[in-house]
Amino acid sequence: MAKVSIPTPLRQFTEQKDTVEYAGATVGEVLNGLTGQFSGLRQHLFNDEGKLRNFVNIYLNDEDIRYLEKTDTAVSDSDTITIIPSIAGGLN
Amino acid sequence: MIRITEEAWRVMVDHAQSHYPNECCGAMLGAVRSETPQPGGETIAVKEISRAIPLVNTYRGEQADRYEINPMDLLKTDKEARTVGLELIGIYHSHPDCDAYFSKTDLENSCPWYSFVVLSIQQGAFHHANCFLPNAEQTHAEPETLLIPTTKRA
Repeated sequence: MAKVSIPTPLRQFTEQKDTVEYAGATVGEVLNGLTGQFSGLRQHLFNDEGKLRNFVNIYLNDEDIRYLEKTDTAVSDSDTITIIPSIAGGLN
Repeated sequence: MIRITEEAWRVMVDHAQSHYPNECCGAMLGAVRSETPQPGGETIAVKEISRAIPLVNTYRGEQADRYEINPMDLLKTDKEARTVGLELIGIYHSHPDCDAYFSKTDLENSCPWYSFVVLSIQQGAFHHANCFLPNAEQTHAEPETLLIPTTKRA
């Protein structure tokens, strides 16, 4: 099963667990397993259209899945999926 | 409400002033405590920031009016916070020669999981600061009460 690392602010939705494990062939399947068990997490990761929110980055090990096959990226048992927000800003 | 300790605040102000006229950015670590300011009164959650971690502004263009945080730096900081028993509670950045507002760019690139402190640096010296809580749609940010140590203006 792949490991999913949960950022601190979202652990309130995962019974304070910082890492959870799910079986799945793709990143999307693993995330569906995660949000299926911890339903409160879903609205923080996905918008109403079921797409990942703009500020949510998903990394498979050290690779941003946007540059792989997105949520169709294949996952193996030794992989770690990490949820990291995207943050930037400016004066205007 | 967010309260920043003197030690963390000094790091944030020094960082912002040393990066002038560019924007700086960093992470705020601490703990959330329940406090009852008045006996018998309402209990409120106070985010107490005990440590500030300067991060690299990775924006590849003109940094006088933009900042960007490498997600891997944020991940490293989140892990570091856990190892010392703290939480990653917020993000700070500076506005050189501008007020400490939450701009359209700030809002559109924000994350509702954190508090965002903006430091106004005027002519190289700290002037004032504000804190904001953006929503998940990145369309609105609520002001959050910010308590900082008394800082002498240059």
